[in-house]
Amino acid sequence: MFQGMNFAPAQLPGELEALRTEVREFLNAETDWHPNSDFNAGASPEFSKRFAAKGWIGMTWPKAYGGGGRSFLERYVITEELLAAGAPVGCHWIADRQSGPLLLKFGTEAQKQAFLPGIISGESFYSIGMSEPDTGSDLASIRTSAVQVPGGWCLNGSKIWTSNAHLNHFMVTLVRTAPATDNRHEGMSQFIVPIHADGVTVRGIDNLAGEQDFNQIFFDDVFIPDDHVVGEPGNGWAQVMSELAYERSGPERFLSAFRVLAEFGKSLRNGATESQARLYGQLVAHLVVLRRMSISIASLLEEGLMPDTEAALIKDLGNSYERLVPEVVRLYLPGQVPKGLAQALEECVLHAPSFTLRGGTREILRGMIARGLGLR
Amino acid sequence: MNEEQQLIGEMARRMLTDHCSAEVIDRAEQGDFPELLWTLLDDNGLTTLGVAESSGGAGGSFGDALVVLREAGRKAAPLPLAETLLAGQVLSQLGQRLPEGPVSLVQGSVTLTESGQLQGVVQGVKFARYCKTLLVVAQRGDASMICQIPADAVVITHSKDLAGEASDTVQVATTVQPEACFAINDAELDAVLVWGAAMRAVMMAGALEEALAATVGYSLERKQFGKAIAKFQAIQQQLAVFATQVAASTRAAETLMVQSEVAVIDVAIAKARIGEAAGICAEIAHQVHGAIGYTRDHRLNHLTRRLWSWRDAFGHEAYWQERLGRTLLADKTGDLWQQVTALG
Repeated sequence: MFQGMNFAPAQLPGELEALRTEVREFLNAETDWHPNSDFNAGASPEFSKRFAAKGWIGMTWPKAYGGGGRSFLERYVITEELLAAGAPVGCHWIADRQSGPLLLKFGTEAQKQAFLPGIISGESFYSIGMSEPDTGSDLASIRTSAVQVPGGWCLNGSKIWTSNAHLNHFMVTLVRTAPATDNRHEGMSQFIVPIHADGVTVRGIDNLAGEQDFNQIFFDDVFIPDDHVVGEPGNGWAQVMSELAYERSGPERFLSAFRVLAEFGKSLRNGATESQARLYGQLVAHLVVLRRMSISIASLLEEGLMPDTEAALIKDLGNSYERLVPEVVRLYLPGQVPKGLAQALEECVLHAPSFTLRGGTREILRGMIARGLGLR
Repeated sequence: MNEEQQLIGEMARRMLTDHCSAEVIDRAEQGDFPELLWTLLDDNGLTTLGVAESSGGAGGSFGDALVVLREAGRKAAPLPLAETLLAGQVLSQLGQRLPEGPVSLVQGSVTLTESGQLQGVVQGVKFARYCKTLLVVAQRGDASMICQIPADAVVITHSKDLAGEASDTVQVATTVQPEACFAINDAELDAVLVWGAAMRAVMMAGALEEALAATVGYSLERKQFGKAIAKFQAIQQQLAVFATQVAASTRAAETLMVQSEVAVIDVAIAKARIGEAAGICAEIAHQVHGAIGYTRDHRLNHLTRRLWSWRDAFGHEAYWQERLGRTLLADKTGDLWQQVTALG
């Protein structure tokens, strides 16, 4: 029987406001980028380096590896401030959000010591290596594979839709290391693939907006030493799944269209029609509730829980909201559309199709929610 | 929610589960007041929560009252519970003691003369026929007044709202003593709207949780094409959307329950957001239930008809959306992100 979801009304502790102020001051002083609250819209190695110097990458990780030893809720404050300001977070985002936590959870001591410091200093950037040309939602159907060779593995295949691979250094890659059996989730492993290794080719793909955001990566007899295998060979599926609660529940799942809403609000300050005020109120009401739900999940993560269904739920609800914002704001623009609003809206319309695809499609997420409801 | 609220919620839920069956709700719609259930809630202080004991209440906070109302919404309790709890807030704001028994608010075009003549006709007074006391909002010149009168001093014509709950026409033509009339300013009158909206918001949240559980349960029982309809992706995807809306509603409602003092802006957010969810979810609930859900025999109508009624009461979504929008825009220097984060 369905028992309900766990979104207890948690709040960010008041003492985090000092940290919020500090991040805002840092971001206010950073001006050499064009703001876009889509986490995938901008990437700047220089920005990530300066951001890292503040101790804000890997801030929840143990101090023993150079992390900040701070709480998940503190990280929440930082990430949402980055997105709201439209900072170019693309370089460090994946490493900070999931590659680092993955290594902390499943990596060897040597891997933690070898890889985490570079992430924390804002010098090593990571890509997600899951999708393939013939593998989208059905992740277990991957064909990229590796065979054992002396001292390691020989990797062949291809990954696709890899954001910022052309700027990044490593890809945590899901690879088939044993033939598929009746249990198709067996026989997969995760490798840390150096993107600049011999046999790796990166080919850019222009997205719909005309930007070179994602890539296809080819592996041609790439040698992967044993010490680049994350966790136990064969445990890849369980490891990938554990990344997803982090990947799906964060503020980047409902803030992508935030610039549009903020610019819309600015344009209404000197007078709003009934319809404009109503729409603005509606969209802010959604935003506030989504944010509160997301904070509830962050609190569960802080307690060490893995709320997979709740994470899928917030992502689906948040993505639907991100898709809605540009669709409705365009209908209620003021007579003179300020340049900032026009630009934010245009960018958002062009990026919006990706919101409900990346990190799990709407349909896959709803399937997960249905499982949580006991329907599957 | 704190531990005490959880206990209050469990107590209310137990009483309602035991004494608010589908049959009780159907009989109430036929005019049979669930006296036993009312007395049980009343004896346990659940009808006067949020009012200090010194004023004749059971103590506790407004949030405690909302906890009980969510349970009442969940079980579609056909009682003047929100009305009486709201009257408790109004009277305690005016520094008055709570009377015994159910109370409802009469808000419409009623005038009060200098000589104490109270005159007017108001439609849609919830549960008026079951009340011992009515609180009539009246205009005396430019001023607003609240007059506390015995229900037998007015003529009540029975009527029902779309939820099937008593929603009567009250014809007032009586003389009131000055000591039963209290001046109420605009801010205090607005507070009545805000409390009422908070109450309907949490009642909707409760009804939505129950409607989801009922719809999930039905989809697992109902078989077509040789299997439970829950196994079809088309149904799963609809129920997933249902669940997202319910989760958002619950979160918005619980925000109000845990506040020491209810914040107008959070009520606006909750009433707007949950009202929107009510329409989306009622549609899915009926679509999944099919024709059986479109009958009076099936209990789904107890929930969905209330959702459709409650979303319009004390300001519908558009009212609260616009009010919220204007509140945020009125702060000329206010940065949206600062406003959002300040809300917590």
